[in-house]
Amino acid sequence: MPLRRLFAITSILFFVVLAISPLKNALRPYRSIQREYARLGAARAKSQKVAEAYQARPVSIQQIWLPGLQNRVDRCMTCHLGAQDETMAGAPGVYRLHSRSFHTPKDFDRFGCTSCHGGQGLATLEEDAHGMAENAGTPMTPLPFIESGCGRCHLGEQVNGAAILTRGRMLMEKAGCFACHLVKGHEGFRSEAPPLESVALKTGGEALKRWLKDPKGLDGNASMPNFRLSDQDIEALTHFIFNTAPSKALADKVREAGAEKAGDAINGKKIFAEARCISCHTVEGKGNGSAPELSKVASRATQPWMLAYLRDPHAFNPRTRMPQFGFSAADTRDVVAYMVAEFKDFDAPPGMLDPVHVNQTLAEKGQKLFRLLGCTACHAASGEPDRIGPELNRIGDKRAASLDFGKRKDLKHTLPTWLQAKLEDPRSLGTGLKMPVYGLSPTDTQAVVTALLAYGAEPVPAQYQPVPAVRASLVPGGTVGALFDRYRCLSCHQIGDKGGDISTAPLTAEGSKVKKDWVIDYLVMSYTIRPILTDRMPVFRMTKAEATILAEAFETFYLDPSIPEDPFAGQPATSRDPIEGRHIFDTLGCKACHILGEKGGYFGPPLNEAGRRLKPGWTYTWLKGPQKWRADVRCPNYGLTDADALKLTSFLQTQVQKPAALKTAKGGGR
Amino acid sequence: MSSLTLSTLTAWVRNSAVYRSIIRHGVADTNRNRSLVIFENLFLHVHPVKVREKTLKFTHTFWLGGITMVATFVLFATGILLMFYYHPSVPQAYRDMKELMFVVDNGVFYRNMHRWAAHLMVLGAMLHMLRVFYHRAYRPPRQFNWVVGVVLLLITLLLSYTGYLLPWDQLAFWGVSVGTNMAKEAPLIGKPLRFLLLGGNIVSENALLRFYVLHCVVLPAVLMLFISVHIWRIRKDGGVQGPPEKDPGEEVEP
Repeated sequence: MPLRRLFAITSILFFVVLAISPLKNALRPYRSIQREYARLGAARAKSQKVAEAYQARPVSIQQIWLPGLQNRVDRCMTCHLGAQDETMAGAPGVYRLHSRSFHTPKDFDRFGCTSCHGGQGLATLEEDAHGMAENAGTPMTPLPFIESGCGRCHLGEQVNGAAILTRGRMLMEKAGCFACHLVKGHEGFRSEAPPLESVALKTGGEALKRWLKDPKGLDGNASMPNFRLSDQDIEALTHFIFNTAPSKALADKVREAGAEKAGDAINGKKIFAEARCISCHTVEGKGNGSAPELSKVASRATQPWMLAYLRDPHAFNPRTRMPQFGFSAADTRDVVAYMVAEFKDFDAPPGMLDPVHVNQTLAEKGQKLFRLLGCTACHAASGEPDRIGPELNRIGDKRAASLDFGKRKDLKHTLPTWLQAKLEDPRSLGTGLKMPVYGLSPTDTQAVVTALLAYGAEPVPAQYQPVPAVRASLVPGGTVGALFDRYRCLSCHQIGDKGGDISTAPLTAEGSKVKKDWVIDYLVMSYTIRPILTDRMPVFRMTKAEATILAEAFETFYLDPSIPEDPFAGQPATSRDPIEGRHIFDTLGCKACHILGEKGGYFGPPLNEAGRRLKPGWTYTWLKGPQKWRADVRCPNYGLTDADALKLTSFLQTQVQKPAALKTAKGGGR
Repeated sequence: MSSLTLSTLTAWVRNSAVYRSIIRHGVADTNRNRSLVIFENLFLHVHPVKVREKTLKFTHTFWLGGITMVATFVLFATGILLMFYYHPSVPQAYRDMKELMFVVDNGVFYRNMHRWAAHLMVLGAMLHMLRVFYHRAYRPPRQFNWVVGVVLLLITLLLSYTGYLLPWDQLAFWGVSVGTNMAKEAPLIGKPLRFLLLGGNIVSENALLRFYVLHCVVLPAVLMLFISVHIWRIRKDGGVQGPPEKDPGEEVEP
């Protein structure tokens, strides 16, 4: 009977269909991976007992459950069983031990896998877990941007062990991203861009037009991006800028400077070198590039302006990082004379610095453009910057599906690719977009994307945020504060969590570190401490009185309670034995990096003056663990005992030779 | 004592009190016995004692009501299994969905069965109504059952709609946002109705909880009640009605 046969066939088919799901379940790939892991583990095990433990492992889903961290459940270890298993170092593929990172594999129990890597922790199939399908779930963070995971918990700018992230955050600060985009923690950001009012005093119409066309083309260190302006727009903006009247005080300064006689270029050259201008400014490729390139500056800035600016930079731009040097009037004249003679663009047509005859219609058009393009975000003279960009607080968790890829058909639809494209060529994604071109190198783009991806949608709970390694900054007021401001100490040095990263010597514990007399000498006439470094402390021509005020401030405020004033107190007399200390010095091979006497390496500071410069407490604490003070310190931690560290300290305290540079020092005179 | 043979064992089982309380009428193949079996069994008594052979033909009803009924059973079975894993709360709902997809044994299967059976139920119910309409089976004496059927279709659609929100994904959220905004446009009762449905003015955790209770308790209970009435009425109205009889006298052209 055909109906019965039909019934039989459909019943069998139905049974087969029903069997598919349990079968798929039983054949999940993680089961075979776990069996293979047990086999590998047993083969690699050092003892029979451990091998048996591997073989006795049940096949089951493994997970890390973190109720305190956004209720995260990470089942990555269901396949990546070897991630925390030292036995699996160097094992193939999915079975291997987690590669060396800042955190040890034991830490993974505390914060799981997806908190750094992204992806879907709940899933147990590779495709789901890694989020490989486009627009499905949260995809894993690609490895070039993996340090964004560090940044989810480590909110400070400096993250030890995460160089790319740190660079990204530094670049964002430097490029002025926060001027247009609101980001939590950076609400108070103000750009260092000069206020517009003095531009007409500084430069000429032609030079300004060239600058607006391509700032980075003229000066590789420029932080101003390229707005891809049309020639008409440049014309209008130039007229607007020259229509902006400078304050009378500034105009007077420049006018008076213009009336002075020319200085002596040969003496100027000497002063320019002595003051170490190229510690920050670049001249023909030399210098660290944190300040404008100077080799063609005389074709961009007028002589009177340079003279007036060098005498009082903070009057022209209150937010500049440039310190005010203690030059005499004649000194500045000489330096500017040297710069005007040497730092010239010899190919430039004449009349580069001629002022513009302002056309009011164009100036008004320029004023509108100035606001429309968002120039005020950086060049606002005062008050709140006009943030024309969207806020970036949750950008790192934005779904690829909600991003506008616009005209770009060549891009993979993922967040990192979108961010990369946005940074490389912001306007390629659509018409009418305002973001300018920053001309970042591919590695810098990678760094900035990493920093951006760290801005997650959900804040990490407080117990997962690391206690800041550095103390909050203490920036003094009063006379000391005025000196800090005048010499812009924080442009290069860090104090607590503030300050630039040009100097390798933070000032947070300066009073516990160096001796007062040495500081005074050094501030008056700074010299090279570490021969290997190219960025040196400028010679500010500080007076002895100013240096004393600063040295006393260090002694009073910038102390670290963990550094003992006298490390020998309460220790046996033998610990003060410099001869034994000398012996330890030789045994450890300190000379590989440090000069002592005539010979030694160039990496660390010479130690001939160690006893004159450093306090014994600092030396002792340093020897007990150099990495505590800066993450990038190369000085090895030898794990010295207290007694050995003290002996070495007492030996170093006997080295009190005065460096040659100081013997001729005169100190600044104003 | 007589030896234990299969026939004595069978006889012993058949005479036991337990067996006789379940199988009350034996297996005698007589008309009276058949009637008794049907009459005295809750599950069978919804069926008429006798049906005409032609009503069993596939083309008579296309089995549409039966298919809808089977889909309903599947939905109850898989729905109960899904309820074991699902929390109707904002932080958990979508996550439970992922758990079902990623780690629960056969979770994908249950979820997909529930989904496809739901589609089948809506489709089956609609086709069933069309079939009934075109076969003129809504006419007396079946006019009451037609109305019950309309109510059942509405409940089916409401079940579909309330179930739509439960995954708590973007599709669900916006689906319900749009749907309840449409309800808001109804004259007079629109706004209060939306407020009642959502337990507030936006699609939030209250809406999720209300839709969950509606989907898993209220609507299934009402559905069961109406299905019982519906099936009981079929029997009372003289069984299913297929294509109308060819009766020239009855054909009245308008």
